[in-house]
Amino acid sequence: MIRLNYRDSRPIYEQIKDNLRKLIVSGAISAEEKLPSVREMATKLAINPNTIQRAYRELENEGYIYTVPGKGSFAALGSDMSRQRQEELFQKLEEVAVELMYIGVAPGDILAHVEAVVQKEEKKTDD
Amino acid sequence: MIETKELTKRFDAFTALDKVSLHVKPGSVYGLVGPNGAGKTTLIRHLAGALRQTSGEVLIGGEPVFENNAVKERIAFIPDDIFYFMQASTRDMMAFYRGIYPRFNMERYHALKDVFKTVDEKRNIRRLSKGMQKQSAFWLAVCMMPDVLLLDEPVDGLDPIMRRQVWGLIMEDVVERGTTVLVSSHNLRELEDVCDYMGVMDEGKLIFQRSVTDLQENLVKVQVVFEKEDTQLPEGIEVLHREKSGRIHTLIVRCSPQEAQERLGGLSPILLDTIPLSLEEIFIYELGGVERGIKDILL
Repeated sequence: MIRLNYRDSRPIYEQIKDNLRKLIVSGAISAEEKLPSVREMATKLAINPNTIQRAYRELENEGYIYTVPGKGSFAALGSDMSRQRQEELFQKLEEVAVELMYIGVAPGDILAHVEAVVQKEEKKTDD
Repeated sequence: MIETKELTKRFDAFTALDKVSLHVKPGSVYGLVGPNGAGKTTLIRHLAGALRQTSGEVLIGGEPVFENNAVKERIAFIPDDIFYFMQASTRDMMAFYRGIYPRFNMERYHALKDVFKTVDEKRNIRRLSKGMQKQSAFWLAVCMMPDVLLLDEPVDGLDPIMRRQVWGLIMEDVVERGTTVLVSSHNLRELEDVCDYMGVMDEGKLIFQRSVTDLQENLVKVQVVFEKEDTQLPEGIEVLHREKSGRIHTLIVRCSPQEAQERLGGLSPILLDTIPLSLEEIFIYELGGVERGIKDILL
């Protein structure tokens, strides 16, 4: 479920965190679903349990998961979480837009492109 | 759980260990790195009670180890060069260890046949390949249900799949039973996964020990381009190393990535990127920079 990239210079706990976050946000782990236990993850990935614990703790602080003592960690339903993710994504969009403008794409073309994407997605959900 | 106080060992005129004060918390996995001849193996052999120190103390769970059977029952040690009796098979060794280690777990021994299925338990261990001998040693060691596991270059000779399985097994014990592990290795990359504490040895001295979290959070690489060439960095930022190519400054800064973003962001740079450092880089800078030839210690 989680793949660590050993060429990645990010610390491992961050890789685990990002991986899990992606799974939760994309719905691959649905809300209220139980996440693998620290023990399972540590054993399967051969990673220090404290590292996994740390990734879980930070995800909990960010509102992506919640922990029930004695039961384990679960994916959260959160509106908080989507709001935070939203901010992140808007920031990314901003970076992309700035770069597009920098290489000389007209602002109108950028907007048109975004609109086209929105329309395409809406059509998909209609079907 | 594991502690040495000013541990010194001399072999005739040669000082192999020089006032080593090591401290390993219960349930933690401590990685020991250093070049050949740094004293890693000698240190581990003291912890296992195989060598007697010249001066200082060696304590496991607060008790001296040397000649102390009650303590040794709780320790499993896999040396770099594994010793077996002549003609002994894994099963023979199991029978031997069962007599010595009161907690030896037969159920586990049988269950692990599946994991170590390439090792024929009836075959003379000396006739097995190096990697299989290591597997056999791991198999027996985890069945001793140790509180302290001492590993000297443990995965040397194991294939990547086996490495992972073995580390998985050990991590399970760390979570489930709070086993304390001390492992020496040359492979920093591998230690980064499994350790939460690291120590660096050189020339018989323990020159550095710290938690991995601490290491990772306190240094960051920053790439920054300022509008004005002569922009000064704000006060109070400790820069360990700087490089400049064209307009891009590459700085190694002692603070968290967030802090670097906040403080340098205030100078309205054209570009500001924080990049995490690999453990190897962290060591190089923490230990005094590339200039001092620290690179060689870590290889």
